[in-house]
Amino acid sequence: MFEILQLEFMQRAFIAGIILAPLLSVLGAFTTLRKMSFFADGIAHASLLGVALAIIAGVTPFNGALVAGLLFGVLTFLLERYTKLATDAIIGIIFTTGLALGIIIISLQPGYQPDLISFLFGNILAITWSNVWLILVLSSIILSLVFLLFRQLTLLSLSEELAWTSGISTKYLNLFFYIMVSVSVVLGVKLLGIILVSALLITPPVTAKLITQSFRSYVFLSVIFSLIAFIGGLFVSYYFDFPSGASIVVSATTIFAIVFAVKITWQNSK
Amino acid sequence: MNTEAVEVNNVSFEYEKGNEVVKDVSFSIPINSTTMLIGPNGSGKTTLLKIMVGLLLPSSGSVKVYGVEPKDNRSDTGYVPQKLYFDQTFPITVKEFLKFSYGGPDKYVFEMLENLGIRDLAGSLIGKLSGGQLQRVLIARSLLGNPKILFLDEPVSGIDMGGEQNFYDLIKEIQNKFDVTVVMVSHEVHLVSRIADQVICINKEMLCSGAPENALLPEVVEKLYGKHTSLYKHHC
Repeated sequence: MFEILQLEFMQRAFIAGIILAPLLSVLGAFTTLRKMSFFADGIAHASLLGVALAIIAGVTPFNGALVAGLLFGVLTFLLERYTKLATDAIIGIIFTTGLALGIIIISLQPGYQPDLISFLFGNILAITWSNVWLILVLSSIILSLVFLLFRQLTLLSLSEELAWTSGISTKYLNLFFYIMVSVSVVLGVKLLGIILVSALLITPPVTAKLITQSFRSYVFLSVIFSLIAFIGGLFVSYYFDFPSGASIVVSATTIFAIVFAVKITWQNSK
Repeated sequence: MNTEAVEVNNVSFEYEKGNEVVKDVSFSIPINSTTMLIGPNGSGKTTLLKIMVGLLLPSSGSVKVYGVEPKDNRSDTGYVPQKLYFDQTFPITVKEFLKFSYGGPDKYVFEMLENLGIRDLAGSLIGKLSGGQLQRVLIARSLLGNPKILFLDEPVSGIDMGGEQNFYDLIKEIQNKFDVTVVMVSHEVHLVSRIADQVICINKEMLCSGAPENALLPEVVEKLYGKHTSLYKHHC
């Protein structure tokens, strides 16, 4: 019935996306409430430095991006915590510097760099089985930890002060959250690209927030919307021959627009 | 046996070097008493409360809550902030908020909501509560861990004028029911003698401490709030 599922590269993309979409949307549920969307975007862009260094060193670019994302996430946390610099300024500097250094290093390499384009816009064709395994293992670990720390992460997102007085080690939990978001964003880069990855982190939770009446349903709906966006986007990409990352993002935005329109219509009809 | 719930010894605090907002303050708070911390805006009373809760560390001096440093004694401490700053669209119900804060069974959460007279709010989103309802939810939250001491920062700040007295009555009721020491920051100087067993006056440094009838002398009130302040509220 679905010839799309017969293709091996599509099978890899589906397996990777079906675990990545829930991971990004669950973390996005917290990230958007904490007004940290720019952080995720910054980490994605700064990870280009890791891609560039990995290309120069002859290492897998994906692994380079993961290490760079992780380091930039920790650096942002430390600067935010121990300096009086504004968070958006810190992220803005890190984001542009990582990207700029990445561009400079890649420009030193002669010829066309397919890895660069694939990281900028995402490329499901570029997902290998080893990428899929890495995504599966890391995503499963992070998702398990998020659900294990669900109560603490929710309180931390609501109020750091109240979380601390509830006995939570807010400093370490914050650092841990930054690390989880950084690694997850870089995992998503392979599928959606540096420029588009934050859409799957932001749009499904924002859509869910429009209609939810509890925190649990908010997280659950975020996951559902992200899966619909991912699967729908991939189908559109295949059958219309559109770029996959962009199709997934437009699919997520379409869901948002429909939910928003239904909500407004329903409110006006009351 | 220690009869003091809180011991504050020579505590000073500065957010920036050379700008002390609390200067060499010392006092103690007896177990199971109600203590009001009063002072004008910017006098350092909220800072002092946060030091007692453990949210801030003093620049010098020491604080003990039931004989232990506040940051190591969070399980004995309940805290109600002056205002909860959060995203008003945060999609969390009262029940979820209390359950996530406490981690225990639903039954106890519902019992606490019942105690505070807000059982019907369990399914409401916290961003949609009125100031008074949210304060009650925050008090319920602070009591869930069975604390020995309750710190409240201007608990009536989000409540309309008519509701203030009811709110203080509720706090008194809670103290008797849960057997807790109550420490609250307030600007309701005219209510001190009705509510508190002890008053601590602060304007960066200590100005008075003791039973309200002995400590809150007219000259102290004048030092705190200026010449035209009376201890009594005139109702027209």
